[in-house]
Amino acid sequence: MTTRPTVTIISADGSASDATHPLPTVFKSPIRPDVVQTIHTGMARNRRQPYAVSEKAGHQTSAESWGTGRAVARIPRVSGGGTHRAGQAAFGNQCRSGRMFAPTKVWRKWHQKLNLNQKRFATASALAASSNAALLMARGHHISTVPEVPLVISSTAFSNGAIQKTSAAVSLLKSIGAGPDVEKVKKSRKLRAGKGKLRGRRHRQRRGPLVVYNPDEDGKELVLAFRNIPGVETCSVYALNLLQLAPGGHLGRFIVWTSSAFAALDKIYGSTTEPSELKKDFLLPSNIIRQPDIAKLINSSEIQNVLRPVKGGAVTKRPWTQKKNPLNNKQILLRLNPYAKAYSEQKLGQQKLNTEKPERVAGDALDLLHEN
Amino acid sequence: MATNFENMSTDLIWLCTRGNNSMLLKRKQAGGVTFSRDPLNLTNIHNRKYEGFIDTKAIGINPSARNPSALTLTTKNASAVNPSGAPSQPAKLHKTHHFPANTHNRQIYRQLIKETTKQGYRVDLRQEMIARASALRQAQRTKKPTPERKPRGRKALKLAAEGKRKA
Repeated sequence: MTTRPTVTIISADGSASDATHPLPTVFKSPIRPDVVQTIHTGMARNRRQPYAVSEKAGHQTSAESWGTGRAVARIPRVSGGGTHRAGQAAFGNQCRSGRMFAPTKVWRKWHQKLNLNQKRFATASALAASSNAALLMARGHHISTVPEVPLVISSTAFSNGAIQKTSAAVSLLKSIGAGPDVEKVKKSRKLRAGKGKLRGRRHRQRRGPLVVYNPDEDGKELVLAFRNIPGVETCSVYALNLLQLAPGGHLGRFIVWTSSAFAALDKIYGSTTEPSELKKDFLLPSNIIRQPDIAKLINSSEIQNVLRPVKGGAVTKRPWTQKKNPLNNKQILLRLNPYAKAYSEQKLGQQKLNTEKPERVAGDALDLLHEN
Repeated sequence: MATNFENMSTDLIWLCTRGNNSMLLKRKQAGGVTFSRDPLNLTNIHNRKYEGFIDTKAIGINPSARNPSALTLTTKNASAVNPSGAPSQPAKLHKTHHFPANTHNRQIYRQLIKETTKQGYRVDLRQEMIARASALRQAQRTKKPTPERKPRGRKALKLAAEGKRKA
């Protein structure tokens, strides 16, 4: 039985207190960016508010076609006289002040049903991802001053409406090391490109820390305290929302937990074997594999024992290397001609040939030859 | 804490972040290049081996924050990292070693290897580490002003003649 890791509870001044809390089981749920992304897209869609152009737009005129024979197009034309508008084309989508092509309707299919179990899976997955510092950095949070991830602040810091004013909230965030992340949000505020500026989305900015509290114990005053700090959001632990836990569908939101909210997680999500108390018919998803570390898997004795031994030993023979000249390279010469060793040792190459002149053949033999 | 978690490992984090992360830089130029802005990446190449924020052990060499002509070696504190999902401590994550601006290059290289490779810390990054340190030192060198050209040949004669006339 492995010991359950514990999280240190940080006190309001940012120092680690003696109190710890075992890590809730939600943080062990599988990290599935694909599930989180699909569910995020669906939830973002379902949050949309229907819009449409006015039903009457482009049709508030009594235009009639002039028919053929007037050497103008048969498009409906505004009747009457006395103004510039009279005789102008109307209604068509190509006309000035005509209606648009295929006017948008409020009864467009805006929403889609999402599988509740998948939504819960995605939330659990996003929560698990929020406990990994590397994923937080990959999302772009500035967490180099944060004492611990997951960051749990003692609920005593919030008790009796201690955090009621924004100044108190800001100083709390600073003391627990979340200052740089808030600062990053402040600096990131930019004017939005495009028409969104006119539609209530004037600026765009990064997201900062998400403060998760337990309304039963921490009260709700802190919501008012935190709401005017740019990028900082608050959320009740009983109503965690994937759009806040994984903004843009990207895992790893920086979450500041109050200790009572953190303690409530096990009750809310249950475990992989015990159903959740608050969510009907919900068991936390379990991981498909036990060991996600590939290097450990490969180097495990179970794998290594069944592998075929490496061929060739430490020095591998490379057959097609550069061709060596046997006349220059003694070893290559020996491989081709094993006699070369004895030949050079006995200095056969240096021995002089028999230089004496051959003996003259006996006298009559030559005469005999010439006769024939 | 040596607790093993079933849902997290450096390999998994790499898979989650390889497509998109805050340090990744993608450009359409030159056939779509990808680089990394990670300070713990020695080559700035977005790659499992070099991406330092993912790994339990990583090396970063950068100009010091206070003195841009000095170097800082950053490594990770083993006790503060826990990629396997148990709580980790970002504030204590980095261990730094400063090299003042007047340290000799070879001394820096020797020290870098002593701090990392000789201790069995990311032996595979030895060459990249020295290459980066060397490149940074090269860039940190103050450029000498180009000396003024001394006229030679005819120009020199001409100048000399003018000088005499004035005198």
